[in-house]
Amino acid sequence: MTGLAYLAGLLLSIGAMALIDARWRLAFWKSPGASAAALGAGTALLLLWDLVGIGFGVFFRGDSPWATGLVLAPELPVEEPIFLAFLCYLSLIAVLGIERMLRRDAGSDARPGGSASATDATSKPGGRHP
Amino acid sequence: MTYALICLPFLVVAVVFAVVAARALPPGQRHRRWAATGLAGVLLLVLTAVFDSAMIAAGLFAYADGTRLGPTVGLAPIEDFAYPIAAVLLVPAVWTLAHRRGGRRANGED
Repeated sequence: MTGLAYLAGLLLSIGAMALIDARWRLAFWKSPGASAAALGAGTALLLLWDLVGIGFGVFFRGDSPWATGLVLAPELPVEEPIFLAFLCYLSLIAVLGIERMLRRDAGSDARPGGSASATDATSKPGGRHP
Repeated sequence: MTYALICLPFLVVAVVFAVVAARALPPGQRHRRWAATGLAGVLLLVLTAVFDSAMIAAGLFAYADGTRLGPTVGLAPIEDFAYPIAAVLLVPAVWTLAHRRGGRRANGED
């Protein structure tokens, strides 16, 4: 049963990331299409990177009791694309979340007391170019 | 050395996407994007040092001899840190390009 630990940990982490996403409407809860494209592209690139590494014999699957042991290709565990998708989701949420915090700071500087609504406030002038 | 050379083209692709996406943003947002990318990058590097080491210790994967530069952070070979760097550059860049393209019709927030 411990073979599911890694997979379960990854799925739990993705779920936690989705909660943050939903709460602050950062990625999928703001622009689902763009988020799907970004995660898809990121995961695909990192997976290709893995395959090249496996092809050159740089890394290989360990014999961990925490992994399912199922593989998608030689040395490529089923957990790997899920891990890579998680890494991409984490990157996206981190950048968009920190960006939001920086914008809020800038917003509250410009408009005292307006920090609570600064998120929306910043999307106006100059927020968009034709 | 093999591993480092494999990382190089993927890092280049990620940097190109990040620069293209940043240039699509108006100056204020562009500056904020680079600042956020830097801070998120540091966060991801720290997380990688911790969790990559944990994953290697757990025996999830291993590395062949003679393919790495040598230095490690914890158990994590330094080449492994190219993954989070590429992710933090590429993923938000693709998001921004796709979001701006899609948002052009719907009058948009950022």
